[in-house]
Amino acid sequence: MVNTKRILTLLLLLVFLTPILGDDFVYGAPEPTIDEMLDDELMEDEAEIEEEIYDPLEPMNRFFFEVNDTLYYWVIKPANRVYSFLLPVEIRDCLGNFFDNLTMPVKLLNNLLQGDFEDAGIVLSRFFINSTLGIYGFGDPATSEFNLVERPADFGQTLGRFGVGEGFYLYWPIIGPSNARDTIGYLVDTYTHPVPYMSDQFAEELLYYSTDRLNDVSLNPEAYDDVKKYSLDPYIAIRQGYYDYRRTKIQQQSSKDSAPIDF
Amino acid sequence: MRRSFCAFLISMVVLGIFIYPSYVLAGPTDQVKPALDNILEVLSDTGLKGDHHKTERRAKIMSIIKTRFDFREMSRRVLGKTTWQEISDGDREHFTSLMTKLLENVYIGKLESYSGQQIDYTGEKIKKNKALVSTTIENNGEKIPLHYILINTKSNWMVYDINIDGVSLIKNYRQQFKSVLKRDKFPGLVKELERMNQELAGEVKK
Repeated sequence: MVNTKRILTLLLLLVFLTPILGDDFVYGAPEPTIDEMLDDELMEDEAEIEEEIYDPLEPMNRFFFEVNDTLYYWVIKPANRVYSFLLPVEIRDCLGNFFDNLTMPVKLLNNLLQGDFEDAGIVLSRFFINSTLGIYGFGDPATSEFNLVERPADFGQTLGRFGVGEGFYLYWPIIGPSNARDTIGYLVDTYTHPVPYMSDQFAEELLYYSTDRLNDVSLNPEAYDDVKKYSLDPYIAIRQGYYDYRRTKIQQQSSKDSAPIDF
Repeated sequence: MRRSFCAFLISMVVLGIFIYPSYVLAGPTDQVKPALDNILEVLSDTGLKGDHHKTERRAKIMSIIKTRFDFREMSRRVLGKTTWQEISDGDREHFTSLMTKLLENVYIGKLESYSGQQIDYTGEKIKKNKALVSTTIENNGEKIPLHYILINTKSNWMVYDINIDGVSLIKNYRQQFKSVLKRDKFPGLVKELERMNQELAGEVKK
């Protein structure tokens, strides 16, 4: 499994990097800071000069968007109905905590890579508290009793912190919104996630990841419906939302900092 | 004569202390908070709960919101300067009312669905005539960051954008509208908005 994944990573790296290596948007100029943008008088009418998200594969992305949309209404939603009926919300919450606890190495490594030692410490403390007092991570006493809130970190974010541009927008089947940089980050993150190491069977991993995702959906059932309900063009709403959310998280230096909101 | 002048001066100073803060010194948070408090009050009013009270409740909330939210400014920004200048005054009015209705559904609809009805104020930043008021609102044990972005008009701070955990509502709609405008121009956008508001209204009656 690890071998096939390695080959897949290499292939994807090749596909993504060959045509764009050396181009500006991979190692692009650092984005202007909030202060620079605010001081810029031109930003007063930001509507006209707002940069467009680079989306050369829009037709393909829109196709996968439709695929996922259909999957959502025909597979995920009905599955969620059964799942949510079978498991009470308390158990689903516990499962969510358990899945989250397992992502500790990913968050630890990336907080360290980003030089966020305090947040790396929080990630570690949370893991030890939740794995012991929280009984294998099913509970979350780190939040409820110790008020330890961590900063989620992944490799795409680390790359962004080091100035790697987003590349182009990608909408993956099943996974959803991403871009060239975050896709590479996602693949790297699977190497630091413990689950692939614990299992040799693809079916088991698939079961793990799909339960994780279904559980997420069951805990926020209205998220996707809301986007559909409140937008004229859900594809653009999700694309813009994804980029804004990621950029804010990358600019946020640590969990102590308030999010740097552009205004 | 001199004494009465002194008394006059003193009384001016004293009066000034009382009048000055409420008009000029009231910061963005001080101005937003009462409005949000009033909204929460309406939302937690048991006599106004439930779907059959929706119209009445929404009307009450909207009358509060209109004192603190600048829907015309929002509409101008969401449409972009070029298009805003191209259309007639009547169109601007119409577009503003459509945007008001849409944001009512999005913003109040969301507030109504949140379980925790308490807002925490986590920060305030001022840059020239703009300000950012950061808040969190709790929903199912999770704290959702909601930032209000305000513009100072005639010593009043008015909200013109809401930012949910890094995602700006106005920017998001602007990008969506841009693609509709490119395809169907302004009349097409108006039609789309009317259709959407109708759908959202239909849902209210259910």
